[in-house]
Amino acid sequence: MKATKIIRREYVEIVRRKSFVISTLLVPVLMLVFVVVPILFSVLEPDKGYRVAILDQSGAMGAELAAALTDTLGDGSPKYASTVVAAPGDRFDAERTARVGDVQNGVFDIVIVIPSSVLDDGKAGYITRDERNFNVLTRIEDALNDIVIKQRLAAEGLDYGRVKSLTTAVSLEMSQVTTAGGVEKKNVLGEYGVVFAFTLILYMALLSWGVTISKSIIEEKGTRIMEVILSSVTPRDFMTGKLIGVGLAGLTQLTIWALMGVAASTYAATGVVAILSSVHIPPIVFVYFLGFFVLGFLLFSALFMTVGAMCSTDQDAQQLQGLITLPLIVPLLTLMLLIQNPNSPLAVTLSLLPLFSPMVMLARIILIQPPAWQVALSIVLLVISIYFTINFAARVFRVGALMYGKPPSLRELAHWYRQAR
Amino acid sequence: MEPVVEMRNVVKRFGSLAAVDHVSFSVPRGSIYGLLGPNGAGKSTTIRMALRIMLPDEGTIRVLGHDLADVNVDHIGYLPEERGLYKKMRVLDVLTFFGEIHGVARAQARRRAGEWLERMQLADRAMKSVEELSKGMQQKVQFIATVLHEPELLVLDEPFSGLDPVNASVIKEIILEYHRSGHTIVFSTHMMEQVDQLCEHICLIDRGRVVLEGALAAIKRQYGHNSVSIRVSGDGSFLKSLPEVESVQDHGNELFLRLRDGASASRVLDAARARVDVLRFEVAEPSINDIFIERVSGSR
Repeated sequence: MKATKIIRREYVEIVRRKSFVISTLLVPVLMLVFVVVPILFSVLEPDKGYRVAILDQSGAMGAELAAALTDTLGDGSPKYASTVVAAPGDRFDAERTARVGDVQNGVFDIVIVIPSSVLDDGKAGYITRDERNFNVLTRIEDALNDIVIKQRLAAEGLDYGRVKSLTTAVSLEMSQVTTAGGVEKKNVLGEYGVVFAFTLILYMALLSWGVTISKSIIEEKGTRIMEVILSSVTPRDFMTGKLIGVGLAGLTQLTIWALMGVAASTYAATGVVAILSSVHIPPIVFVYFLGFFVLGFLLFSALFMTVGAMCSTDQDAQQLQGLITLPLIVPLLTLMLLIQNPNSPLAVTLSLLPLFSPMVMLARIILIQPPAWQVALSIVLLVISIYFTINFAARVFRVGALMYGKPPSLRELAHWYRQAR
Repeated sequence: MEPVVEMRNVVKRFGSLAAVDHVSFSVPRGSIYGLLGPNGAGKSTTIRMALRIMLPDEGTIRVLGHDLADVNVDHIGYLPEERGLYKKMRVLDVLTFFGEIHGVARAQARRRAGEWLERMQLADRAMKSVEELSKGMQQKVQFIATVLHEPELLVLDEPFSGLDPVNASVIKEIILEYHRSGHTIVFSTHMMEQVDQLCEHICLIDRGRVVLEGALAAIKRQYGHNSVSIRVSGDGSFLKSLPEVESVQDHGNELFLRLRDGASASRVLDAARARVDVLRFEVAEPSINDIFIERVSGSR
């Protein structure tokens, strides 16, 4: 079978390319950088101290705030070195100006301004030159907040501790009933992220491998390699070989990523990545992911192949490629709706229709457990449409592979289709 | 013996244009067969049909003794007019691949590719990618890809176009060697000198139609005008008044004499030697170029 030679060439040449090696390694690294690094930055604060001046007009709250900021650094020394500056009524503005000067000159890092009016309007100030760390701001804000509320409650004769315990907020925890009848806690936000990541990667894989095929056919036409090949290999063998060869290369890349993903979600529980571990991705999801990639790849690449056979230049091909990309974009656009209601008629319909089903059904499988018949039906419909699409592509390919010049009109295309038997 | 390629009334239309219009010819086994014609005459289309790359609209084509559908394409080597190799692939890998798709086992294809590269003085480029090679080198690699599987029939579309004289003679030598070992070569060209030098049989195509077909020698005899070219020391102007001479073309050092029908060339030689020293005397064959121009301009 000559198709095997084509498969081998396509596969080896793609996998050996630098761009393949780089993208295979770079994408997971980028994912890690985009997801983990911001988390690390927010969690791991720099281990440094702050010199804080607390400008206190009220007379009482300044000392209390200084006492509340008891955080320590890694070596046990206090994180906040607070100096309380009493600034009653008439001295307030002058002191304020002086402290701003201190910040300017680097005597203090932060000045906290507590006017007497804070008890009424709840407004206080945080003045700094360089210290824009959001966590520091929130820490001081929370501490001051407690103090102010305590004061207000005391003025009304209420006990702070009692009120606090009485006003504890309610939080709803989402759980989901599984098909097995059990109940499973869900990390909703994390799940959104996972669905989004999986659909996006599937989208990019289908698109980029499709375009790869389209381009390589145009190149083979342009350099007339096509003629030499078709003088010894049948168009069907060539097409089959190309689809399988490129598909295997894509599958190789995604399998590497999936293995990395499984490893990551299994071992994430250790160390700083623990934040990620709250989102558990069952390995079966990766299997579905690869499966839907294969089916989606066969469907879309057959279409991209047709485009390659119809066109002689990349420019001509781009417009038609855009047309094929549309059905790939629809699932991305409707993703938010799908996530909110994975069993809506829209979601179910899209997950059954072949052009959309690879991405939409995958998303539904991650979110809920769709009825088995729906999964099966979507796969069967996909396989049927793959069969017809490849058949169509083969006919267009047979004629188009040796046609040069501008892409055919629909009428010419129909003629090609009838011409090739 | 059955012809290696036989075309009967083959027609190929592109839209309303008949690129190939009832073409018939046959290529004898073991011959070097030239497919001649100006650009756009339909040579490449004819060749592509013989290789099953395109299907004819009408007519029958038999290749290597089989109907087109049953031809073992692995016995054919094809060099397309516009050369193309996978630019990013290594030279040795490209050749191995082309060998493989023509049915040569991988190891054997690799070994033969190595030998050919050695012979073409490209051995040191085997592991380079194709795009790193000069254009002339790429052409040689393409030629190796055509012959690697040792085909019975070589089909070469404009094999010399774009080659410098040194490389052209390398290719010509291989074609002749292939011919000596009994294989059949069909090549197309619009350059008439090559036909004169290489071909035993020709088929002249113009605007999709066969203008002339057959053994070169026979065609030349048929179109042979009685003419001689002569080089003398001294004044040769008397030659035009000889009774045998119909007209004279003065090419400077040489004179080209067209003789009257039935006139004897040796009588002209005798007459010339009686008056001046003859440095060169040749009974001229008509060049293919002349025949071509005569036929094509005659039919227009």
